[in-house]
Amino acid sequence: MEPKEVLDDLRTIFVTRLRFEPHRVSDVTLDTPLPKGVDGSVGLDSLDFIELSLAIEDRFGLVMDDAQDLAPHFASFRTLCAFIAERATTA
Amino acid sequence: MTTGVAITGVGAVTARFTGGAATVSAFLAEPSPVHDAIADERLVALLGDGEARRLSRVCQLAVAAGRLALDDAELRAGDDVGLVLGTEFGDLRSTVEFADGYLAAGPPGLSALIFPNTVMNTMAAATTIATGAKALSLTLNAPTVAGELAIVRAAGAIASGRARAVLAGGVDQIDPFLGSMLADLGAGEERRGEGAVMLVLESASSARERGARILGEIMGTASGALAARPHGVGRSTQSSVVAEALAAASVELRHLGAVYDSTSGDRGRDHWEQRLLDTALGAGHERRSSLRRLIGAHAGAGALGVAAAAGAARRSGRPSLVHGIGRGGSQVAVIVGP
Amino acid sequence: MTRVVVTGLGVVSPFGLGVKAYWEGVRSGTCAIRPVTLIETEGFRCRIAAEVPDPVPGSPRRSRADRLALAAAREAIDDAGLGVAERRRAALVVGAVGGGMLEAEGWYWPAKRGGAPLCPTPALRSILPYSHADVVGSRLGLGGPRETLVTACSSGAVSLAVAADLVADGVVRVAVAGGADALTRICFMGFNALRLLDPEPCRPFDRARRGMSIGEGAAFVVLEDAAHAHARGARAYAELAGSGMTTDAFHVTSPQPDGEGMARAMMAALARARVEPKAVGYVNAHGTATLQNDRIEARALRSVFGAGGVLVSSTKSMIGHTMAAAGSLEAVATILALVHETVPPTVNLTTADSEVAFDCVPSMAREAAVDCAISNSFGFGGQNVTLLFRRL
Repeated sequence: MEPKEVLDDLRTIFVTRLRFEPHRVSDVTLDTPLPKGVDGSVGLDSLDFIELSLAIEDRFGLVMDDAQDLAPHFASFRTLCAFIAERATTA
Repeated sequence: MTTGVAITGVGAVTARFTGGAATVSAFLAEPSPVHDAIADERLVALLGDGEARRLSRVCQLAVAAGRLALDDAELRAGDDVGLVLGTEFGDLRSTVEFADGYLAAGPPGLSALIFPNTVMNTMAAATTIATGAKALSLTLNAPTVAGELAIVRAAGAIASGRARAVLAGGVDQIDPFLGSMLADLGAGEERRGEGAVMLVLESASSARERGARILGEIMGTASGALAARPHGVGRSTQSSVVAEALAAASVELRHLGAVYDSTSGDRGRDHWEQRLLDTALGAGHERRSSLRRLIGAHAGAGALGVAAAAGAARRSGRPSLVHGIGRGGSQVAVIVGP
Repeated sequence: MTRVVVTGLGVVSPFGLGVKAYWEGVRSGTCAIRPVTLIETEGFRCRIAAEVPDPVPGSPRRSRADRLALAAAREAIDDAGLGVAERRRAALVVGAVGGGMLEAEGWYWPAKRGGAPLCPTPALRSILPYSHADVVGSRLGLGGPRETLVTACSSGAVSLAVAADLVADGVVRVAVAGGADALTRICFMGFNALRLLDPEPCRPFDRARRGMSIGEGAAFVVLEDAAHAHARGARAYAELAGSGMTTDAFHVTSPQPDGEGMARAMMAALARARVEPKAVGYVNAHGTATLQNDRIEARALRSVFGAGGVLVSSTKSMIGHTMAAAGSLEAVATILALVHETVPPTVNLTTADSEVAFDCVPSMAREAAVDCAISNSFGFGGQNVTLLFRRL
């Protein structure tokens, strides 16, 4: 999958599962950071990340390994799209 | 019990009026029935930027009312401020939504975000996070009288040194189906409403020290349980709860002013309450008012009754009684002074 | 100053009916966590829990949770030998979460799946948490103040703390307090969704711990003004000398990382009991076996008691996390540890987490005469409760 397609799917997930206003999500770019507390981020906390992981597993058919530190992949839309694109193609 | 507890703030969110003590007084001076639901946009407008996304609707109600009450009392919450929140139905709407996610899509349809709302303390959790209240935090669940019981519990917590001040009140939203189904099952039919009303209760010494405006005083409280089946109405009119509250407040019956009861259009329960009060108060107290007939039955109405009782006591100079009895037999009396 | 003593105990646990079966299970270090039978678990990573074994006493017309509550409260009241007149004045404080949700799910699930219209069912009458209090109160004739408290996973403990205040403040001389919960689909599925359940029986304080196990049950105690208990010749198990109730005001599902709110609850219990930390010999931990809880709780314990200052064990390693019942079931374990001078173990613990600087009493109960012991309970929404019991 291309990162661009992944980004569109993530935008949908942000609206349907994370309850963001559609206009807030259309503003995000690949460089927008995800975690709360980071400048310019969409402000996700630990519970949002669990919800996001569940939605990603469901949408892209991949399984997240809780034993692994996934935080670097959840830093921004860019890192997350790359992570998903790689897994979704090799799956 | 005797409390030495002052009322220093009010916060109310209903379909008709939203604000602090002045707003509540203005509504009570010229009341009109409120039975409609609160518009979602109005609710979201009461919250901080982006805050609504993660809060369920009933949590939004509680957070907004809690903030209004603290602002009204000009009090900042911290380690010594607690919360006691009464509710009858909690966040049942989120519970249904959580179950529906699973039933529609299996395990992947489960929402981690909604799950915490399936536990009834979710409104209290959201309110303490939003306000920074870090002393005890309790959610009190009861039919009809959860709001009144929350006031009693909060006053007790202050009296036993658990907190300097406590946000206390009730919240409920009009429920998708349970209320009407319980009515169909014989648990009483009444006009329900929705909203959140919270008071700031504060130790009299704390209120004096910081020069807070005092809206009233919780002079005495008592509660008990009369014999009744769950969801049932009892027969007994022998109860010492009102007398105990009067004794705790050192108020003689003949000095009592306004009486606010919990009648709500549930015929069996209303009748029981009328007979209980007739017995407890005797002749001369036939004039009683019920805010539930005005704003619908919900836990917030109990707290609004205490705010109204304080207003009536200020105007007349005589202490007021707030009384409630729920199906199942939980009875509560609060004596409120100026 | 009114002293509050415990004069009656009642339990229904994954070890079966009664306090005796519970203490035997806990003392012997038996793990009651097994494959789930009450609900469907198809497609979930975790498929085990600690269920109460059949038969659960009481009328099948009542919800399972109401039956658990009623059986435990009845045992506690009988144990305390409360007469009719004492019951009529006694307070009832119940910690609850799930209410009759198990039966309501049993009605909602098939209707929703089959697309049938939802018709009212009697099961809905007991769906709300207050059902346990109204059933127990009406059946056992308890006529004093009645409160149902919901503070998520600390509800059972909070019921004891509030009931003890009612006695200490002179509102009542006797209070019946405890928590109850049955396994529910919502709870089981929700913790699965949060990735907080270990597919294997939970391993509190172990380096390899992967989450909690869910359990069910009920426990009630009778709390009484010490002078009242003495006057009627009642036996007292222990004194509930103090309690702390605090809130993190931090996050809905995560504890505050520095454990400040938990430590504040323990300090408040110590202060209200006028007990120095060094007088406490045993901590019955919240000990859920989630990565976060155990580490943060250990941090909070260290800040209050110093490294290694107390024995620490988790009853949840044997009976799972029994939700609203947990705080009261674990309070009973703590009381019995004082009475029997035996600290129950943490089972399934092979290699302790290096950040847990305490002796967690692995596998085997330990003989120890302890003067004071605390029981910790922490709930979602940062709801922290500590109960402090003193040996008599």
